[in-house]
Amino acid sequence: MILNDIEIMFGGQAGDGSLTTGDLIAGVFKRMGLEVYTYKDFPSRIRGGHTNYVIRAGEHPNYGMADAVDGLVAFDLEAVEAHIDELRAGGFVVFDNTSETVSGPLRRADVTWYDVPLAKIAKEELGLELARNTISLGVLAKLIGMDPAIVRADVTRVYQRKGQKVVDLNVRAIEAGETYVERHFAEFPSGYGLQARPDGERLLMMGNDAIAYGALVAGCRFMAGYPITPATDVLEWMAQHLPAFGGVTVQAEDELAAINMVLGASFAGVRSMTATSGPGQALMTEAIGLAGVLEIPVVIVECARTGPSTGMPTKTEQSNLNHLIFSGHGEIPRVVLAPGTVEDSFYISAQAFDLAEKYQCPVFVLTEQALCQSKATLPHLDVGSVSIDRGKLQTEPVVFGDYARFEFTDDGVSRRTIPGVEGGMHLAAGSEHSPQGVITENSRNRTRMMDKRMGKLESMRPDLPRPIVHGDPAADIAILGYGSNRGPIVEAVERLERAGVSTRFFEFRTLWPFPEDEVRAFLAGARHAIVVENNFTGQLERLIRYVVGPLEGMHLLNKYDGKPFRPIEIIEAVERHALLRAPVPVQVRR
Amino acid sequence: MAAVLSPKDFATATPSWWCPGCGDYGVLSALKSALAEIGRLPKDVAFVSGIGCSGKISGYVHAYAFHGVHGRALPVATAVKLANHDLTVIAAGGDGDGYAIGAGHFLHAVRRNPNVTYIVMDNQTYGLTKGQSSPTSSTGYVTGTSPQGNPDAPINGLAVALAAGGSFLARGFSAHPKKLVDLIRVAIEHEGFSVVEVMSPCVTYNKINTYAWFKENVYYVDEKPDYDPSNRSQAFEAMTDEGKIPLGVLYRDNRATLESLMHLPERPLTALELSSAGSQLEALQSVYR
Repeated sequence: MILNDIEIMFGGQAGDGSLTTGDLIAGVFKRMGLEVYTYKDFPSRIRGGHTNYVIRAGEHPNYGMADAVDGLVAFDLEAVEAHIDELRAGGFVVFDNTSETVSGPLRRADVTWYDVPLAKIAKEELGLELARNTISLGVLAKLIGMDPAIVRADVTRVYQRKGQKVVDLNVRAIEAGETYVERHFAEFPSGYGLQARPDGERLLMMGNDAIAYGALVAGCRFMAGYPITPATDVLEWMAQHLPAFGGVTVQAEDELAAINMVLGASFAGVRSMTATSGPGQALMTEAIGLAGVLEIPVVIVECARTGPSTGMPTKTEQSNLNHLIFSGHGEIPRVVLAPGTVEDSFYISAQAFDLAEKYQCPVFVLTEQALCQSKATLPHLDVGSVSIDRGKLQTEPVVFGDYARFEFTDDGVSRRTIPGVEGGMHLAAGSEHSPQGVITENSRNRTRMMDKRMGKLESMRPDLPRPIVHGDPAADIAILGYGSNRGPIVEAVERLERAGVSTRFFEFRTLWPFPEDEVRAFLAGARHAIVVENNFTGQLERLIRYVVGPLEGMHLLNKYDGKPFRPIEIIEAVERHALLRAPVPVQVRR
Repeated sequence: MAAVLSPKDFATATPSWWCPGCGDYGVLSALKSALAEIGRLPKDVAFVSGIGCSGKISGYVHAYAFHGVHGRALPVATAVKLANHDLTVIAAGGDGDGYAIGAGHFLHAVRRNPNVTYIVMDNQTYGLTKGQSSPTSSTGYVTGTSPQGNPDAPINGLAVALAAGGSFLARGFSAHPKKLVDLIRVAIEHEGFSVVEVMSPCVTYNKINTYAWFKENVYYVDEKPDYDPSNRSQAFEAMTDEGKIPLGVLYRDNRATLESLMHLPERPLTALELSSAGSQLEALQSVYR
């Protein structure tokens, strides 16, 4: 029996309630003390269209998806057709055979089939077809050994706000599912089991919630945004929680307004943010340039999805890296940070506000659908450890005439007065300006101002989030990546290690200013380097080549199908590029 | 608290880049006088402008001034007000800035009704790019981009704002300084979003809508004994009448402001003490257990 290591996929039609059930399962796994990762693969529509929800549980923290699905709960034939190939041999399928049957090659012989007339039971025994979701939870709970008390407690908790009647109905649905398994499948065990561990103080949180929470803890008190998948969660979270802390959330008329509002609030002296995705990011480009030249701190959360244009709004991709680093006319200092886990999303988001305010420039928090809309278990978050350093914010009176808002300094950062501060009046102009803020086209001033602003890219380096090197730092084979790929890469590194293949993995947490020295040091001595990313052109790989020079032994492992990597894809790439080839020393340009 | 101030207290040392005779001088001078009359100190005034000849005005007003990107003055001004509602917040821009590239924000600022004053300096042309047609240019107006005459109908900004729920809509003329000072002062004192559209002739490019032309073609609504600025239909009629251009406070009401509907706390956001510690922040984790 496989113990405490399972990936369940719920497949059905959007809007049929399978997401709620998926969340329920994730909660039960978490309360059974397991580490959880969830991945939502849903269509960009409200009702109808195939959707699936993957819930992985085990004893290993910081998961991504596994190589394959262990158990598929299919509410219709379409779900079987779409996912039967992703099932592990020895896995199982719970299939609602009320009105459809699975036959022919689809009915794989190497998996166990549990045909359960979920809809029929729901209708006949409970009088509500929607209850089939909860019945399936009962079936699954019995098949894999979920703790019945936790299942009941969680169902009660989730449906409590809908009244006792609804709670009772769902508890009966659980029982109906369990009973069905006892009666029909007692002789057919699933081969999977669960054993509860201590839950402790852990949390089960979505990436976007962690980002929003981090922002709030870091003192963000103003958010303006425009609803866009997959970033809307951040706006909704802030709208719900900011008022209790004296803050304001504005749903703007478009992303142009949203980012300009963030500039306005920050100019007035409030820690401010927005959150968007590719199309909104494109609209914000001009004002982000303005933030750079006005030296106004802004935090922009970019929840990447597939592009270009509308792309696939609910699917993951890492194709916005170039956009964040290079977009805009003219040149500004900017920071691009990328958390690799839900836990790191909280800390990186919080840190973004200090960086923005200390260096008075735009800071991007780059995440993607497979991380920001995924839930994961994580340790209790240490809110008190979050620093709030407002840098050279000047709230005491200054002497008008002596004070220069954009004065030249060694670190490129000038004292920043905000409206209401005596003597600090100035013009903040997107036109090139003198240290006093007076518009000027003087070429000597222009050069010094550019040097001042761009110099921040160097002066900020000691404060930037450090990369994490995983695995064996002396291994021949190097892997580089960021964001949601951290999960599958770390898992691949550990599995390769157990198989006797050492690898080292460089997890970027700061992507811009590019950590040149760290990447050079990391690559030194490597014989193969594999860059893992979700885009067509290899945006990160090109950045690395640009910095460290053309590499003989460098390979790109990329995909752009809207899905996150599974660890086996990384293991296979290591075999393909490194193990089956003669080693070539990686050339690092000095 | 009102201080005793003069227009000079709001002057900057920066020399103007406007052409001699530009209508914008009248707007600038009226604005400084109105601010002085109200008595807010320069440190408590935030002044946001867009891009174009009119956008340069923020460089000539001694205050916390923000000269942003084209068409986006209103989102900036709205947020400044939300961040610190103790400030007097004024936005200014031209007809292109407000009614073309920024038209969307204009409508949404009107419907939000923040306590912000917006001065639209209307010269019916694009001056800084050397005289193209603008959203308020007459149909048939001949320019470099409309050599066969402007095919578009001019936008009626105030009528549009009235339809969108405007709570204070006024129009002035930059060659009538005393009246303009009054209009701007009353607009700033209005609780809500106040729009002051100012006819501000471009002496270099607009040879049709000149000072002389305006003097012949404007009238003040308060000269009409029966004009009631709280009467929407009457205001709409005056705004859309094909005859002379109405000036003065065309419409006003006491609709709730954005700040009141958002239930902003008494202390501005900028005065909040920030700390990452605390049980209230900590408690938010409990729902994720």
